[in-house]
Amino acid sequence: MDALPDLDAPSRHRDHPFARSISGLIGLGVLIVMAAACFGSLPWTLASVDGVPRYNAGSPHQARIAPAWASHDRDEIRRLNAMVDPAQLASIAKWYGMSIEELIEQTEGKAAVDLRRYHPKFRLGTDMLGRDLWARCLIGGSISLGIGIAAALISVTIGTLYGALAAYAGGRADAVMMRIVDILYGLPYILLVVLLAVAGDALLDEWVTRARAREAWVRTEAREMLVEQGHASPTRADVRTLLEDSPDLRDDLIARALVALPPREMSAATRTFFDLLTLLVAIGGVSWLTMSRVIRGQVLSLKEQPFVEAARAVGARPRRIFVRHLLPNLVGPIVVYATLTVPQAILQESFLSFLGIGVKPPLPSWGNLASDGLSEVNMYKSHWWLLLFPCLLLGVTLLALNFVGEGLREAFDPKRARR
Amino acid sequence: MTALGTPANEAISEREEAALPLLCIDDLAVSFAQGRRARAQAVDGVRLSLFGRQTLAVVGESGCGKSVTALSVLGLIPDPPGRIDRGEVQYRTSDRLGFGIIDLAHLDEPTLRQIRGSEIAMIFQEPMTSLNPVYTIGDQLTEAIRLHQEVGKREAREIAVRAMNDVGIPQPARRLRAYPHQFSGGMRQRAMIAMALACEPRVLLADEPTTALDVTIQLQILELLDVLKRERGLSVMLITHDLGVVSGHADAVCVMYAGRVVEYARTEALFADPMHPYTRGLLACVPRLRERRDRLTTVHEVVSDPGQFDRLGRDLRPWWAWHDPPAGVTPRRAGGGCALVELRPEHWVGVWRDSDEPDRFPVLPPRV
Repeated sequence: MDALPDLDAPSRHRDHPFARSISGLIGLGVLIVMAAACFGSLPWTLASVDGVPRYNAGSPHQARIAPAWASHDRDEIRRLNAMVDPAQLASIAKWYGMSIEELIEQTEGKAAVDLRRYHPKFRLGTDMLGRDLWARCLIGGSISLGIGIAAALISVTIGTLYGALAAYAGGRADAVMMRIVDILYGLPYILLVVLLAVAGDALLDEWVTRARAREAWVRTEAREMLVEQGHASPTRADVRTLLEDSPDLRDDLIARALVALPPREMSAATRTFFDLLTLLVAIGGVSWLTMSRVIRGQVLSLKEQPFVEAARAVGARPRRIFVRHLLPNLVGPIVVYATLTVPQAILQESFLSFLGIGVKPPLPSWGNLASDGLSEVNMYKSHWWLLLFPCLLLGVTLLALNFVGEGLREAFDPKRARR
Repeated sequence: MTALGTPANEAISEREEAALPLLCIDDLAVSFAQGRRARAQAVDGVRLSLFGRQTLAVVGESGCGKSVTALSVLGLIPDPPGRIDRGEVQYRTSDRLGFGIIDLAHLDEPTLRQIRGSEIAMIFQEPMTSLNPVYTIGDQLTEAIRLHQEVGKREAREIAVRAMNDVGIPQPARRLRAYPHQFSGGMRQRAMIAMALACEPRVLLADEPTTALDVTIQLQILELLDVLKRERGLSVMLITHDLGVVSGHADAVCVMYAGRVVEYARTEALFADPMHPYTRGLLACVPRLRERRDRLTTVHEVVSDPGQFDRLGRDLRPWWAWHDPPAGVTPRRAGGGCALVELRPEHWVGVWRDSDEPDRFPVLPPRV
């Protein structure tokens, strides 16, 4: 036995999973930078400029200005000139012996070059309403990334649990659970999302206005009145007749209901938050279907593996077998499908926003920004920056996500030798 | 009284204990559902017994019910589709658990889990896939240890190192950090045995432990099992279809066909004088080195010869699944009319049952 060659049993330190994939590391780096920039700049993008959040602040006279480092046409230069601080304008005009109006008309020459130093700087240009694209890209990124990641988390959680439970239960329970998935698959997903989004919206509306609650309150009050008048058991029809026959009473009751159940107040920010939450639940709620199918298949094949039987033979409980022996073997497909779900969710979000049930303007998302930018590209003058930058950011993020997914898959695969 | 010969929880001396079987399978029948077709009867009326320090070889062709018998000992028959129709698996638990004699075939899951691994362990045919690929060998070994023993991580690790050392894996402490794919087939099977033995079970069910290994490793593994039997008093139920393995390493042999035991005897007696035609057929198949032949004999040639099924004495005829029952024998009871009868001392043969006389239990206590 001693004569056996000294096989190099690898230690954990030298085989660190993170060191296995360079592209994954780069992708992770890009994602971290992107997320840090988007989420870290939230205080700045949400900061108030003249009473409006920065991402929404702008005026029509600074609309469609190219990025500061790109070339400007005459019209843009004229508009930029006009935006320079009046005191600076006056002093430069005095230096060159021109009137302020004349100076603003300067697009070439020494005066124009001097004036350019005082132009407002729009790093990525401005959109058709004169809003700074840089700020909008940043906040759009946090919306898109947030929705993508949260939707992926929802779909991973539901999909994994559902699929694994179905496969683990087996037999009739499995059949019923998977038929439910098939039915949901059969329905057009956009219908589901719209239904969920609309239902969420209605719930929110009711919570704010309390119209239905007040109606119910009025009916109960009227019913009690009838009981006091000696009516033994008034039906709904009785109550309705009472209210229809005496408009004064009804108006009085409605007025009292308004006092008892006044409409609630909800700030715009809370409303936006709940809108996003509904959207998220809607997207996450339909994207777990693929996940659950994949996981079910994996669990079905894994649970027939001899090592599961071996674990049972040493006396492990079913839950332990599931958590300790099945789940780690599922990490690969879970990670791969999660990274596929993130871009899918981002794209779905932009599609829904396009339909008007997603992120509501003026709040932007990368999808919104790109679709707005697409309509700005025309034969006469293409405002290319409006399309390029949102698409670039979206593309880079999706690519980075794919690299990270691939890297994670390699890291979790013990059979993969270190390169 | 139970088939084990003693009432439960009664103190018995060590000598008496050695004379009593540890595990008794009595009239076990297991069937599997096959959709709309009739249930497949995988095992039908199997009886066998296992003593301490004994290696019982269970031989038979694929599908004869060897593995199902072993799995039902641990209650590992997948249900559904499987089901234990009747019979008992009586097991005399050690003082450690103190349950006395229990019937493993009708035991609740939590108690079964206590038995699995700690009292009765099992090793499987495929060492390639019986280990979880995402954990190191050490993780899996310590998991098995900590499921049954109240020990900390460090202690479990020490036990694991000792277990790995016992099964002859060099540098056990370093090997614990390796993943299954870094082990060769023989090392994996050793690791599986180490895992099975880490909790010091009394019975080891070895389901074709050497089938997937080459002959040199096979010999090493079997010798390892012999050593463990001698030194720790381990009882081994060795499921195999290799008669060479049987002759060299087993004390007693149980030959199975179509879910029934057809012959049961000490190894020497069985090889010297096989009585059932199927056993004779199996032995006739073994090629001999000095003999020049164009083709080898098959079991089929032997069992399709009606002359082989002559009366065996006492006017009994060997049972055979494909024959009609002789006149006067009706397969009234389940078991298809097969009865295990002690035709010679300590030599049982499956014959056609012609009376309602209950079967005698085959017991072969190890010779001291």
